[in-house]
Formats: sequence, structure tokens, C-alpha cells
Amino acid sequence: MRALGLSLIAAGVIAGGVGLTAGRSVPGHAAAATLPPHPMRVMSLNQCTDQLVLALLPPQRITSVTWLTRDPLTSRKATEAMQVGANFGAAEEVLAQHPDLVVTGVYTTGALKVLLRRLGIAVYEAETPESFDAIRDVTRKLAAVLGAEGEAEAMIAGMDGRLTDAARAPTHLRVAAWDGGGYAPGAGTLYHELLTAAGAVNVAAEGGVNQYAEFDAEAVLMTAPDALVQGVPTPDEPGLRREAETHPLARRFYAERTVTVSQWAYVCGTPYSAEAVTMLAEAFAALKAKGLDSPPFGAP
Amino acid sequence: MNGRILSFGLFAVLLAAALASLLAGRVWLTPNEVVEGLLSADATLAGLIVGELRLPRLTLAMAVGASLGLSGAVLQGLLRNPLAEAGLLGISTGAALGAVVAIYYGLTASFALATPLLGLVGGFIAAALAFALSRSGGTLALILAGAAVSSVAAAGLALALNLAPNPYAAFEITTWLLGSLADRTWDHVWLGVPFMLVGCGLLFLTAPALDALSLGETQAESLGVNMRRVRLLALTGTAMAVGAATAVTGAVGFIGLVAPHLVRPFVGYRPGRVLLPSALLGAVLLLAADVGSRLMSYNTEIKLGVITSIIGAPFFLWLVLSMRRRAP
Amino acid sequence: MTTLTASGLSITRGTKRVLDSVSAEFVPGSFTVVIGPNGAGKSTLMAVLAGLLKLDAGDVTLGGVALGWIAPKTLAKRRAYLPQTPRAEWPISVERLVALGLTPQLPFFGDVAPDEAVKVRAALEACDLLALKDQAATTLSGGELARAMLARAIVGDPPLLLVDEPTAGLDPRHALDAMARLKTRVAAGRTVIAAVHDLGLALSVATRVIALRDGRVLADIAAADVDAALLKALYDVDARIVRDDAGVSVRYL
Repeated sequence: MRALGLSLIAAGVIAGGVGLTAGRSVPGHAAAATLPPHPMRVMSLNQCTDQLVLALLPPQRITSVTWLTRDPLTSRKATEAMQVGANFGAAEEVLAQHPDLVVTGVYTTGALKVLLRRLGIAVYEAETPESFDAIRDVTRKLAAVLGAEGEAEAMIAGMDGRLTDAARAPTHLRVAAWDGGGYAPGAGTLYHELLTAAGAVNVAAEGGVNQYAEFDAEAVLMTAPDALVQGVPTPDEPGLRREAETHPLARRFYAERTVTVSQWAYVCGTPYSAEAVTMLAEAFAALKAKGLDSPPFGAP
Repeated sequence: MNGRILSFGLFAVLLAAALASLLAGRVWLTPNEVVEGLLSADATLAGLIVGELRLPRLTLAMAVGASLGLSGAVLQGLLRNPLAEAGLLGISTGAALGAVVAIYYGLTASFALATPLLGLVGGFIAAALAFALSRSGGTLALILAGAAVSSVAAAGLALALNLAPNPYAAFEITTWLLGSLADRTWDHVWLGVPFMLVGCGLLFLTAPALDALSLGETQAESLGVNMRRVRLLALTGTAMAVGAATAVTGAVGFIGLVAPHLVRPFVGYRPGRVLLPSALLGAVLLLAADVGSRLMSYNTEIKLGVITSIIGAPFFLWLVLSMRRRAP
Repeated sequence: MTTLTASGLSITRGTKRVLDSVSAEFVPGSFTVVIGPNGAGKSTLMAVLAGLLKLDAGDVTLGGVALGWIAPKTLAKRRAYLPQTPRAEWPISVERLVALGLTPQLPFFGDVAPDEAVKVRAALEACDLLALKDQAATTLSGGELARAMLARAIVGDPPLLLVDEPTAGLDPRHALDAMARLKTRVAAGRTVIAAVHDLGLALSVATRVIALRDGRVLADIAAADVDAALLKALYDVDARIVRDDAGVSVRYL
């Protein structure tokens, strides 16, 4: 036992020395592979970049997107996703499909990104946009990398058109994007941008709150919004979100004042988010037309 | 059964499991492809998968499993209690906190190995704290100090989760805590394995003292065993081995509890003889769990820590119940 | 040289003086029995003589060298110590348990002493344990465990043997056996020091008696010289000592 112990210690010290000097344990990125000018085999490992990649490139140039994108409830491009391969974000799949470009998001596992760079695979990391300006920026940058600038400009033009339309007659309805989950989006989030672009006032951002604000039933009472906005209810998904549908407050006061919006619009920032703006603006206008533009339980 | 025969047998099983793990995964390989891939000079798909993905993963699985099994065996021998585990010293929680701090502050973006490195630091700090708190006391003092350090670190973890800046960060933290060997590279190997080797070496040095402890601490001391030195060896060895292991893979439990218990009857319950088979069986168990994780995950990865818990927890329950039956 | 000398041993715990200037000398071939009421400090004295407890004052020397200066391994080879009610922590075989007594003799590499098997067998035989050698130590009866622990203490043939309460919890037959075995050690020239409650048995086999009360040595005399007056001073109890060829018996009145 003692002999074994001492030899292991010796082995460890030697291994440590080798590791330090041989440069393998040098932290940081390995030399990043240069991005190809016109990638023909693009693989996307992030649900949000999936949407953009499917929108900008024809299916022949896409090897696979994540399996999540095939779900129509959370993905705008579910039908298009069926035409290309589905991956599970595994390194082995990347190796097997040998793409010439891998597109990832900021929140893809750090270890995976490092691994891909080590293997000399070209990786492009797209940022997460939280405003329409950022959406334009991210879309243009990705399009430049993919060699699809034309398609990007077309999408952005469509988005700008919808935004201008929606800005024509803002309702100034006071709304809260409350899913019953204990928080609501404040300023600086894409959700907030959607609500504002649709002509409403986001009560959760009123206190100057940035990012995700604490927002519970008490906050609803205090801010007294005219209407609630909720992500599309998904009947087979358990979670706190269902509480909002059944929360007594929501049932009693907001049964007719709840607007739904598809999750894909605010989870991933793409030019398609403007479609949600159009739908929200129409819904808000309808509410206003019905005279539901004041709080349901008296002003604070 | 002789302890030596058991060790040889486990080593053979480990080799077989290792070879199997090189073949299994999302992309199944044949033994031919594996050999060709390793030997060919150009980068073939099989070569890359085996050389850059599976070999480091295999090395880590064996090193981490051995570290967990061995430290569990040493702790059980030191405390003369089959329910003891390395977690008692607070080192795994400390290492987890270190790694979570790296994730929380987004250090991984700028510095690839931030998570395992800070995990190591966290583990060492926890060990140093436990040691400092229990300097003048005996073995019980060490355990109490470890429990205290563990609680503090766990509180830190809860705080980090609570204050996570966005749901993604919270998700990344939680996922890391579940334990995984996915996407580990040779960098992780060079960072973690030297510590695990030295740590395991220190742990093996406690073998004769553990045997003498079968008579209790007083008699062991009368036989010339230096209890302070044994405690220090156990603590430092665990800090290095388990600290590095947790830093690299996240929190994987039950291996340190299960492995020694399974081999003990085959070595006549001699605590010194339990060490090597526990290390080998720990390596086998973790490797099997890792292969299972690769095969069972279809959409989302089933995490390593989840698999060991699903198998380990019922076993632990059975262990407690059978102990109650034997020793009322 | 195996004369154990204690001079001026003192230990204070809080306000209580557990040992108060205890001095004694234990020469080879002597069988000293330490007697005294509960709380007199017998166990503490035994642990101190074994070199396992720190003193506040005084020292213990073995062959002229202070115990603190002897390397623990060397000391372990020269003296064996059995605490009160020793127990086995794992169900190892009796043979392995006895072999643990050879721990100080283990070489640095490898884990079997050269003639371990021979010595272990001799110890098992001397304590009548051959039939039990493969049984798990945790399944032994009180008497069997006492024999097993004694075997592990004598397997290394230490010149000095310290036993705290060798007859605790043993039935008369096993208590007699235990003391008889200790006597055999003495006959072979070794030194035995035992703390005992069973006075009759102790006085039958011992050569010397140290009476301890409240941490102080009340008497340090030959066993044959112990009389009722000493017992009265020690235990606050009237007693009668009868010495005949069957041994010594003590009757309390």
C-alpha cells in the first residue's frame, strides 16, 4: 500500500510538471480557426441562432439545427427545421457532421465552445439581442458571416415596416407581462421592447427596474395594470406559469383582459419578433375599443 | 477471497469497461475504427472522437471514480463507520462553491479553465478551514468542523443561485451542480489528474494506520500510530483528490459510499485492504455511469450525478436498514 | 532495560487533581496491581504509564529514558497497553485482530512482518483461541474477546504489559483465566501492571499492590502485606482478608 501510495504521489508530481510545461494546461483559447467566407455546411447549436440561420440560409447549406427548433410552440421556424437535420448539441455530432461553420449563442456551454475551438472548428458566437437595435445588429453580423446579407436586409425591412405601423396609433395601455412566475420583464429586456413598440406601457419597468424585476400578486395590485400579457399557455408543461391562469387575481379581474403572445417572440430576438408586435398592437387596440383601458379595480 | 485476487479482477473489469467506453456514444465506433483512428497520422473522424473526446473523458472518469471510491474508503476506515463519505469533510461542497463562483461571474468566457481551477481553490480553502477549526481536537472535531464548513459552502451555493443575474446563469449553475463529464478535454485532464494522483497517493499511505484503528484510537496510538498524522493525510489527500474531482465534474455522490461497502466483505473487512479495491471499483462504477449517461440521454443529457443518485440512494437506504437490523 | 519509573506524576483537570504526585517503580518480573475506589485515578494512571496522556508535572521513564523521548513505534514494541473494555470496530477475523499487535514491527514497504504467522499462532495458542481464529471479532462473547485482546497484546512479546480492568464483565472462570495468563507473562520475566477491582483475585496473583485514592498513593506494598486497615482507608468499608492455600479471599462486612 505504501509503495503504491508513494509511486502515485511521484506520478502525480511528474504529471503535474509535464502538464504545466508541455503547454497543454495553458488556459485560454486555442488559436481560433478563421471563419470561412461562404460556408456551405452550417450547424447551429443554439435555439435562437437556429431561427436566424433557418431564415437566412436555404436548407441545402444547413447541416443541422437543435432538436428544440422543431417544436412549433417555442419556435417560429418549426416547419423549416423539419427540412434539415436535428442535433442535440453534442461534440460528437459536430465531429460527425463536419460543418465548416458552427453557430453558437453566448449561453452555450463554455466547455463545448472551448472544445470546438481546440478541434480547429470555425465557431461564431452570436450575441443575445435585447432590443430592436440589437436585433438589427446581430442579424446583420450573422448574415455577414453566413454570406446572406441580402436576405437579412429584406427581413429587417419587413421588421421596420411592422414597427412603423404599430407606432402609428399607440394605445398607451398599461400592461404587465405577468406569467405568475414571481417576476416580470423590466427595461432592458426584449419583452419590454415588444410591449413598448406595441404602444403599451410596461408597468414592471416603472420603477426604473432593469432586467427581470420581482413581480408578484402584490405588485399587480399596486401597479394596477389595465391588461396582462402572457406567453402562450402550454397545457402539458408544468411549472409556476400555470398559476397565473388560475391565480384568483387573474381569474377575477383579468379574465377578459389577458393578451397572449407566442414564446418564440420574446425568448429569441429575431426580426420575426416584430410579428408579435403587430399582434400585440392589434390586441391592445381591441381592448381599448372595448373600453377596457383603465384598471379593473380602481386607480391606486 | 484474497484482496489481491479481487484487485486483479476489478482491474480486468475496469479495462473491459474502458474499452467499451471508447466504442459507445452518439456515434458508435467499431474496435477497428478506434484502433485505426488512434494510429493514423491524419485527423479522421474516429481518431478525433476517440483521441480528443473519449480518451480524456475516459481518463477523467477513471481518475474521478478512483478518487471518490478511495477517499470514501479512507474516511470510513478513519471513522470506523461504513456510512462515512468524503462529503463529511466539506471539501466537495467547497469545490462546488468555487466552481459556481467562476460560473456566476462569467469567468469561463475569458478564461477557459476558470471553473475547474476555482473549484480546486474552493476545495483547498474548505479543507484548510476544517483543519484550522479542528487543530486541537480529535477525529470528532474534524468531522464537526467539516460539517460546519459544508453548511457554509452550501449556503453560499444557495445564495449564488438566488442572486443569479438571469435564468440562464441559474440554469448553468444548476446543471453544473448535477455533475457531468461531457465536453471535458485534455486540458481538464492535465489540470485535474496530477492532483488526483497525489491525493490518492497520500490516501494510500494511511493503510497501515487504518488497519490498526480496528482496535479503536487508543489502542492504535499505543501501537505507534500517529493519529494527527493520519488525520492530516486523510484530509490533505481528500482535499486534493476529491477537490480536483469535484472541480472537474461537478457534484457526483454515492460512489464513495457504495464502492467500499461492496468490496469490504471480500477482503475480510480489513480497512487497509479495502483501499485499492475501492479505488478500482469506484473507477468502474463511475465509468459505467458515464457510459450510461451517454447511452441513456436522447434529447437532454442525463447527468452523471443524477445517475449515481438514482442507483446510490436506494442502495444507501438499504444499507442503513440492514445496519439497523444487525446492530440495534 | 525495562524498569518503568514514575516520579511525581500530577494531572489537574479543572479544579480536580486527578493524579497528585504519584511515584512508583516497576521492575522486571513484577506483577503490580493498582487498586482504589471509583474515580481514584487508576485509568488515568494506566494511560500515563503507557505514555498516552500528557502530564502537568512529573515524568515516566522506561529504562532511564523519558517516554516522551522514545519514538512511538519503538515504545509500541516495548510495551503493550489494553484500555478498559476494548472492542473491535470491524468484523475482522480473530487471527487478523491478534496480528494487529505486530503493527509496530511492520516494515515500511509491504504489509506482512517476516515471521508474523508463527508469532500469531503462538499467541492464539497461548490464549486458547485456535478454534476461533477465523471467527469475526465482533461476534465473540465477552470472555472470548478479552482473550483475543490479550493475545494481540502479547503477540509481539512486549517486556511491559499494562492492562486496565482485565476482568471487567467476565464470569469467574474467565476472570481466573485472564489473571492466570497475566501471571504466566510475569513468570517468563515480563512486567505486568494491572488496574483491578476484583480484590481477591488481584491479591492472589499479584506481587505488589499500589493503592490509589483521590489521585494520591495511599500505599505501595507487597501484596502479602495488604491488610484490612488499608482496605478500610481505601474503600471506607470494613473487610476481612483470608489467606490460605486456595488463594486469597476478601469479605466485606
